[in-house]
Amino acid sequence: MQNITIHTIVNNELYIRTIPVNMTLLQFLREDLHLTGTKEGCDEGECGACTVLVDGHPMNSCLVLAAEMDGKHVLTVEGLAEDGRLHPLQEAFLEVGAVQCGYCTPGMLLSGIAMLNLYPHPTREQIRKEMEGNICRCTGYERIADAILLASERLAGETEAH
Amino acid sequence: MLEGRDWNRLVINRKETTGDEAVIGHTQIRKGGIAKVMGTAKFGADVDLPGQLYGAVLHSPHAHACILSIDTEQARALPGVRAVVIGSDFPTLYGSFIADQPVVAQEKVRYQGEPVAAVAADTEEIAHEAVRLIRVEYEPLPVINDLAESMKNEVLIHEDWSRYDCSSACFPIQGTNIGDQYHLKKGDPDIGFAEADEIVESEFTCGMLQHTTIETHTATAEANPITGDIHIWSPSQSPFSIRGLLAKTFHVPLEKVRLTVTEIGGGFGGKYEARCEPLAIALSLKANGRPVKLTYRRDEEFAATVCRSPVHMHIKTGVKKDGTITAQKVNIEWDAGAYVTTNPRVDYNAGFAANGPYKIPHAQVDGYVYMTNKTLGTAYRGFGVTEVATAHERQMDLIAEKLGMDPLELRLKNVLCNGDTGITGEIMHTMAVKECLQAAADNIGWKDLPLHWIDEEGNLCGKGIACFNKLTGTPSTTSVLVKMNENGSLYIMSASTEMGQGVTTTLPQIAAQALGMDLEKISMAPIDTAITPFDKTTTSSRSTFHSGNAVLEACDDIKTQLCRLAALKFKVDETDVKYTSDGYITCRSDESKKIHINDVGKSGILHEQAPVAALGKYGTSDIFDPPPVDGRQSKRPTVMWMHGAQAAIVAVNPKTGRVQVKKVGAAHDVGKAINPTGCLQQIEGSIIMGLGHALMEEMIYENGNLRNGNMVDYKVPTFMDADVEMKITLVEQAHPEGPYGVKGIGEPGLAPTAAAMVNAVCNACEANFTSIPIKPEHVLFRKEKAHAPQI
Repeated sequence: MQNITIHTIVNNELYIRTIPVNMTLLQFLREDLHLTGTKEGCDEGECGACTVLVDGHPMNSCLVLAAEMDGKHVLTVEGLAEDGRLHPLQEAFLEVGAVQCGYCTPGMLLSGIAMLNLYPHPTREQIRKEMEGNICRCTGYERIADAILLASERLAGETEAH
Repeated sequence: MLEGRDWNRLVINRKETTGDEAVIGHTQIRKGGIAKVMGTAKFGADVDLPGQLYGAVLHSPHAHACILSIDTEQARALPGVRAVVIGSDFPTLYGSFIADQPVVAQEKVRYQGEPVAAVAADTEEIAHEAVRLIRVEYEPLPVINDLAESMKNEVLIHEDWSRYDCSSACFPIQGTNIGDQYHLKKGDPDIGFAEADEIVESEFTCGMLQHTTIETHTATAEANPITGDIHIWSPSQSPFSIRGLLAKTFHVPLEKVRLTVTEIGGGFGGKYEARCEPLAIALSLKANGRPVKLTYRRDEEFAATVCRSPVHMHIKTGVKKDGTITAQKVNIEWDAGAYVTTNPRVDYNAGFAANGPYKIPHAQVDGYVYMTNKTLGTAYRGFGVTEVATAHERQMDLIAEKLGMDPLELRLKNVLCNGDTGITGEIMHTMAVKECLQAAADNIGWKDLPLHWIDEEGNLCGKGIACFNKLTGTPSTTSVLVKMNENGSLYIMSASTEMGQGVTTTLPQIAAQALGMDLEKISMAPIDTAITPFDKTTTSSRSTFHSGNAVLEACDDIKTQLCRLAALKFKVDETDVKYTSDGYITCRSDESKKIHINDVGKSGILHEQAPVAALGKYGTSDIFDPPPVDGRQSKRPTVMWMHGAQAAIVAVNPKTGRVQVKKVGAAHDVGKAINPTGCLQQIEGSIIMGLGHALMEEMIYENGNLRNGNMVDYKVPTFMDADVEMKITLVEQAHPEGPYGVKGIGEPGLAPTAAAMVNAVCNACEANFTSIPIKPEHVLFRKEKAHAPQI
């Protein structure tokens, strides 16, 4: 298999790696960088467990080639907590009980952050539509929507405070 | 905490409990949650060992065939391949009830997806490439795709049951495809039917479901071929039962098998079975003890792990004009797949639940596990109880319709209450089904709604209600170790695994409550069968009840030990020291001498003293009255019955056939809600899971070929399907033997969901749907035309 060298920024850190051209971003994150917070659920873009943000856009990392990440910014669940503090959405997930087995949680968080960027004050209907690609088998989804709404309140509060 | 947010959809209806406790009864943030939101929690496939090889499996493309030859030469020659395993390498059979299943197929394959060979290689890519190079010659055999074919016994999937090592809890019938049977008989149904004014009969079929945990099955094994030491890392629901199974399978002493449990990305019964574990061990043994990681892809998860068996049920009920049930007979036929696995337990639990939580003087249940050439049925969140509830609750509605009674009224008339005689002749206690039915009905406004109506958009709307009862597996045993660290904090070591249900939060809550201690000071230790004390399984909604009792016993011992140490410090006799309910270790004769449990670490009483550690144990063998196989009558078949009810409102679009569940009212008797949000999580998640079962999910097999083994074609509920208003009541009818009155809630949330939704759809369409899932095409194009003229 042909190899390619990429310069990519993952969670604000630069990685220069030579990788096979057919390696998916999911494989790159999990096996090359050992960032195992990003999960594989179906490897066909249906479950959303592997969702990461590429230049701010949510993507199923199982469907994207790592080679395409040259010059791009990737955000994974490991990059959400900053300065020893959880992201407000991570806090909200814990507080409202949006986490059960936790396997879909990393993908849910990244999709949730992408949707809050798009709709800072989402309705439940918008949340359902935007989050449809992320499957959860434990929670029944309602608390995940609750968490996104709570985080949206808090993020709005932070913006006002600044 | 944000309890206030929950109280909008939660009501607690206390019968024999108080809300006065400091720690239990209050929502607590899930232990281990921070690692899950940070992505640092280590699930099965996150395990990586130095020198690790990767496994891949060749699965049978045939549902039923003889293996004529296997050529692995090319695969072995591929650079990077370190081991290849075929059936003859491990001529051993396994199974928890009957040892009928090979690690890798021997001579014959019995379902599409059965492992035929496995490879370990330096990379996953090489392993899969090697699998493609294996050549197998098959001679196809006639395929048994369904119950009708299986019952003919013209083709036997297992020719000779007597060849297998069979436990005393499994009853195959020689010369047939029946892998197990169950028979319950109470009174004389013929007498009961003779007393009846009306006889109602119905049939119901539940489709084949996949657990569809988002984490697939995976295992990493390091197995030493010389010493026989086997170390497995896997997301196993029940590490000790899998340890026992693996030791038997590989003919090594039990203590040689060590299972380290990773985080579990969803279980629901699916991770009760050993799937990747035996294969990873076989590969590691063949690779001279190098560690091997095997992770199933989603297509393998569908084809080669486990499922919920399709089941066909027939119910006949005798009833008086006033609604009193005089007799009921239930016949259950499981389409159980190619190997028996845990089906006998499903058959058994469903058998006890099949008549519902009703007073029935004469009853009979006959359950049969039929083998078919399909993937393997097993436990699925309730061990068959959900399926039989769907049938007996449809039947109740049909009876109500025949008698012109309100469905709720009919149920309330027949429901089991304290002091009534249950299905095994047991005198029932701690029953609150009546309260659950009333609360569930109130939660959707039952009494103000007709059975069916048309909304302003022209949708056909209906309401439905259902209840259930379910026993927990008895007898069973558990033990926990509670050890105090040098700073006075505690570790609880328990093999009750966490798969999202919250047991690693409820057990610390119980300890914190018992000791008057801060919850933050109590942690759960990771689970490893070489270290953690024995627990039978994490199934059957038993963990908070059983392990909670063990924790309470250990905490009593901890108190005694601390009083002894405090007596030394206080320089008084041990009998002069008491432990108060708010956590003070106090000198009786001089109350100024006291230490709070939260301050034990800095009090100095632990310094250079025998460490404080306590074993807590709990078992139910003493209260168990074994139900004999002929009739299953018993004064105490289980330590704990669980029950609850749900009511649903649905809207059916008559043009598209699409069913929308608008509202679900639930009420479950949890005995005592240790972590109320935890209880709600179980019920809310179950409601949406049950919605999938009622309306969407179905594994489709044609001639033994799985037609939709992927997440595109096997539809599970998404965010868009979950627009359901929920109102939930937790009824607290304390269980006298449960810790603080606890009953289980892991499985019960799902038990009445599909039943309530089916009844609502039937009412909405004025039709009698006799199978699930009810998909749009079933609403629009059913053979028997719906009564509602709009469709």
